[in-house]
Amino acid sequence: MSKYILRRLIMTIPTLVVISMIIFVVLRVIPGNIVATMLGGGGGGGGEGVQMVDPAAIEKLMEDLRLDRPLYEQYLHWARGIVTGDLGDSFFRGQKVSEMLRNHGPVTLQISIMAIALSWIVGLPIGILSAARQDSFLDYSTRLFVVLFLAIPSFWLAALIVLFGVLIFEYYPPLFYSHIWDDPGGNLAKTTAPAIVIGLGMAAMIARMARSSILEVLREDYVRTAMAKGLGSRVVMWRHVIKNALLPVITIAGIMMGFTLGGSVAVEYAFAINGLGVTMLTAIIDKDFNVVQNLVMIYAAAFVIINLLIDLSYAWADPRIRYE
Amino acid sequence: MQTSSAEAVATITSSGNSVMQGLLRFARNKPLGAIMGTIIVLIVLMSVFAEFVAPYDPLDTAPLMAREPPDRVHWMGYDEVGRDILSRVIFGSRVSLIVGITSVVFGTAIGSIWGLASGYLGGKFDLVTQRAVEVWMSFPSLVLALSLLVVLGAGLHTVIIAVAFTRVPYGVRVIRSVAIAVKEFMYVDAARSVGSSELRVMLRHVLPNCVAPFLIILTAHIGTAIVVEASLGFLGIGIPPPTASWGNMLGSAVGQAINPHWWRIIYPGLAIVITVLSFNIFGDAIRDVLDPRLRGSEAQ
Repeated sequence: MSKYILRRLIMTIPTLVVISMIIFVVLRVIPGNIVATMLGGGGGGGGEGVQMVDPAAIEKLMEDLRLDRPLYEQYLHWARGIVTGDLGDSFFRGQKVSEMLRNHGPVTLQISIMAIALSWIVGLPIGILSAARQDSFLDYSTRLFVVLFLAIPSFWLAALIVLFGVLIFEYYPPLFYSHIWDDPGGNLAKTTAPAIVIGLGMAAMIARMARSSILEVLREDYVRTAMAKGLGSRVVMWRHVIKNALLPVITIAGIMMGFTLGGSVAVEYAFAINGLGVTMLTAIIDKDFNVVQNLVMIYAAAFVIINLLIDLSYAWADPRIRYE
Repeated sequence: MQTSSAEAVATITSSGNSVMQGLLRFARNKPLGAIMGTIIVLIVLMSVFAEFVAPYDPLDTAPLMAREPPDRVHWMGYDEVGRDILSRVIFGSRVSLIVGITSVVFGTAIGSIWGLASGYLGGKFDLVTQRAVEVWMSFPSLVLALSLLVVLGAGLHTVIIAVAFTRVPYGVRVIRSVAIAVKEFMYVDAARSVGSSELRVMLRHVLPNCVAPFLIILTAHIGTAIVVEASLGFLGIGIPPPTASWGNMLGSAVGQAINPHWWRIIYPGLAIVITVLSFNIFGDAIRDVLDPRLRGSEAQ
């Protein structure tokens, strides 16, 4: 097992390097003259705006951003920064990227963790129950819930919650995020609703996957054998079915975790939460490439780590993989 | 219910009377799918003939009526500059459908060609490109589309490209697995032994088997693509104003934290949900008909 973990760990390094290169190429090379884009305000690779700007300002910006160096040197500088934890500065905000992470990261992380926990607590039991009682009322309502939640954009649900909170309950969520140990009430008032919105969307996916996966396993020969030898259906369900049906559910839940990160951008925006998602959005609109580049890298790294955890949980759940 | 895959493809691709028969059979076997299909047709007609359907010009402003709630003439109320929301919802369907459909068609087509080559040729090409596809797929679609739009700039074409880009890996994955299965068939060996070139085998003998899966991915992903487009619009980096899109209508409405306007939030959102729901359920029905093996394997 430890050998397997080690091998998977080593394999993530080249993946991360490749991802960082792709991000660098897309965000730094393709837009052409970044400074022209930034100062000129024109989208894409347009350089028309550059004449209107003071050449000295351009030169200073170029130097600050190390844009006068060759590209490979810029990349290496960034890569070294990632390893040493110095992610550089925001182009506009006079803030270090690592500082922005400290300010805006915790709320996003907390919401993600709450959402993931909620999705398992709600999604898995619903999926199991609706498979165990196929075609019952519960099964039909589950399927309706799933189909609806796959079609309702999370940001709209978020907007509706804010809307009805204000219209019906005259409830305004607190404006600022406070740490859970400073002000538990205020913290939960701010984070619960977004966690529910993101979590329910994921719960729908988990329930759908768990249901179909269990229904498939129920048709296996060994389940019939277990039934035939007289085991109670509850024992068969727990010992034979759910254990085997869990693998695809873990996969989809892992992929969904990555989507919480993506979804958090729109949901944070809808709830006016100043988290990482909104920070990235602002950076994108401002064309603050250094911030975008680092945040996208962090999202990607988070995803790679989640994938690693999924693979390890496979090994834990399935001995065939462990002893490969 | 026993329509075989080949039969189903035949009913879809053949012409004349049998199209009617095929549609009738589809409606009998998949009533819910047929209802959703009808709704899709209505939405498409609405967007094509938006000029005739919409009661007002979607760009006509009436500053004095700005932010007024729905009344008897303007059923969905007015937006922040006094434009008629009903007309904007009707015109907004254009953006959603154009982006949703073209991006999925392009993205899936590119992905399918790639998947076909990757699965059929195998070897190093397959190994290397599959790693790339894994990384690609692992990125949340919205983050991917967002980062691309920074580079490309906002506009209808760039949004289509960005959304299409997020759909490519799904095409690769599915078509690759089909190609891998099909290339082991006897008739592929036979074709090769009579001297057909690899390209000919790929296009004449393997490609036709990819048509049904291609249609399945297509219908399955239009809903998602519409949501991604709406999210981009909502965040203010999709289709630029004043063009109406459901996403940017919602985005301009949520800025209003104190005393929010429910009519500006509910109606565009409902339009998204109805459209996406129709495409998703219709897509499930299409999948069941085209690929009986998958029937019942997922919640319907």
